[in-house]
Amino acid sequence: MSIMEYNGGSVIAMVGKDCVAIASDLRLGNQALGISSNFQKIFPVTDRIYLGLPGLATDVTTLRETFRYRVNMYTIKEEREIEPETFAHLVSSTLYERRFGPYFIEPVMAGLSRSATGGFKPFIAATDLIGCLNFAKDFVVAGTASSKLYGVAEGLWEPNLEAEQLFETISQTMLNAVDRDAYSGWGVVVHVIEKDKVTTRTLKGRMD
Amino acid sequence: MILLLLASNGIVIATEKKSPSILVDDSMLEKVAVVCPNIGIVYSGMGPDFRVLITRARKSAQAYWKMYGEYPPTRVLTQEIANVMQQATQSGGVRPYGVSLLVAGWDITRGPTLYQVDPSGSFWAWKASAIGKNMVNAKTFLEKRYNDDISLEDAIHTALLTLKEGFEGQMTEKTIELGVVTVPTPAEIEEGRTGSATGRPKPTFRKLTEEEVRDYLAL
Amino acid sequence: METSFALTGKGYVIVASDTTAARSIVKMKTDEDKIKVVSPHLLMSYSGEPGDTIQFAEYVERNLRLFHIRNNYSLRPSAAASWIRRSLAQSLRSRKPYSVNLMLGGYDVTIDSPHLYWIDYLGTMTEVPFGAHGYGSYFALSLLDRYVLSYISSKANTHFFLFTYRYHDPEATLQEGLATLKRCIDEVAKRLVVSPGKYKVKVVDKDGAREIEL
Repeated sequence: MSIMEYNGGSVIAMVGKDCVAIASDLRLGNQALGISSNFQKIFPVTDRIYLGLPGLATDVTTLRETFRYRVNMYTIKEEREIEPETFAHLVSSTLYERRFGPYFIEPVMAGLSRSATGGFKPFIAATDLIGCLNFAKDFVVAGTASSKLYGVAEGLWEPNLEAEQLFETISQTMLNAVDRDAYSGWGVVVHVIEKDKVTTRTLKGRMD
Repeated sequence: MILLLLASNGIVIATEKKSPSILVDDSMLEKVAVVCPNIGIVYSGMGPDFRVLITRARKSAQAYWKMYGEYPPTRVLTQEIANVMQQATQSGGVRPYGVSLLVAGWDITRGPTLYQVDPSGSFWAWKASAIGKNMVNAKTFLEKRYNDDISLEDAIHTALLTLKEGFEGQMTEKTIELGVVTVPTPAEIEEGRTGSATGRPKPTFRKLTEEEVRDYLAL
Repeated sequence: METSFALTGKGYVIVASDTTAARSIVKMKTDEDKIKVVSPHLLMSYSGEPGDTIQFAEYVERNLRLFHIRNNYSLRPSAAASWIRRSLAQSLRSRKPYSVNLMLGGYDVTIDSPHLYWIDYLGTMTEVPFGAHGYGSYFALSLLDRYVLSYISSKANTHFFLFTYRYHDPEATLQEGLATLKRCIDEVAKRLVVSPGKYKVKVVDKDGAREIEL
């Protein structure tokens, strides 16, 4: 029994054209027994950054609270909102602080960063449980269904998807991957982040 | 006297450094200190106190880098130093730092900015200012010369001109120090971002070499 | 083996827990109350390592009481749940963690709604319409899913939704809720090899917490 698979759950993030999407399942379990079908693993950090925290559920809540605290302190001290690149480093440092007694979480981030010319650039990143950053250009996955998510995403994703197409792609990827994973599923939530709005949709999945 | 000037595309710091005796090796004297690639500080007051503060500031900048993967904005670093100085006014068994600082730097949110920090721990931003010996005259001089869209090159010359007013002895590359803050282009900013090819920002604050100072003085 | 259930209904939460206190294979006591009224509108059932359970439950009770004395009002169920969860999560990474599982049922008087939280010894917390701990949970949860389903569809002739709240009826009256609970207890009694004999049942609603005889 691995501690990373104790509660189950998966997250994926994808890059589109001037937009990004992040999705997770809603299951919380105790090994094979399902406890809740409404356990959120993705949290808003700013208007343009979302953070997914798949892994051990107690650490999901603890880290979510830790990051809320740290980002609030950053916003007050710096009198500005944190940028995705900076936030990714904050996530990495926070996890590495616990290098020899880690939080059992593999965070996934999605956001739009402000470019030097004033526009917005899609940004996604993921880290392992001790904070090793992975900046990907296409998609990142994590959680108990990660291997399945890789497979489906590899087949469905293509560059420069518009927001609606990206939503369809990430939704299908998530729904089909979690159906092959006993520890993920029980509904899916998808966030699509664009420069002026975030669209959040909850999907019904198979409930078995 | 130390002098600071905010130009439309950068900042110049100019300071005189005079050695107490001709026997002192003046290459050892350093009044302009680089804290991190985007921030520099000059002081007026007690040298040893300044050295301690610089060490603190550098450590603080590195701690910030370790946490966020980028160097602190000028305002945040200034606040950090001001905090250290304020603490010294309240703590038991210590005396306040005997220095006034001028902090100049560039960051993405506020662009080129410069601050003055006093021993009390209070700090505020300037467009142009002078501290130390002859500061009153220098400030009057700057008030007449300063305008918002002065270029960096012009600002350097204005700074040298102001410094020359009431300068004792010969003004050479050995007796003054210059530091400049430059504004990076969008391409350079992009290059410095994490995930790009280098991921290392080009320094935006640097001290001018003796050769460069000599060239400016010759003009 | 230790078992506790809880479920929400219209304006109330029912919390039930068995009353056995066992050491190894021996039943030491069969009338142990394992549901604490931790504040006027908050019930907490606890199970787990014998010493830890009482120690932790009293720790929670006294801290919530202290909060009430200091501030002249009680923590809302959501806030109390967060505080309790954090205590367990911090304890988990200490030298000797508390090994306690909780069902926390409360009535939020500020927004007039019942809340139920499922919390385990790791500090995992989630709000649920119904939940259970212990071996009984394997029978009770699946039964609640199905039982409430047939119950709803027979009552209101509605097609059930797979997603929202599954088959649970958060609008059931107290009588209906207690009947559902009785069904859970009977199912566990029927199927679990080491089933507990007696249960204590408490309910919390707008009038506060009280014990109920089944």
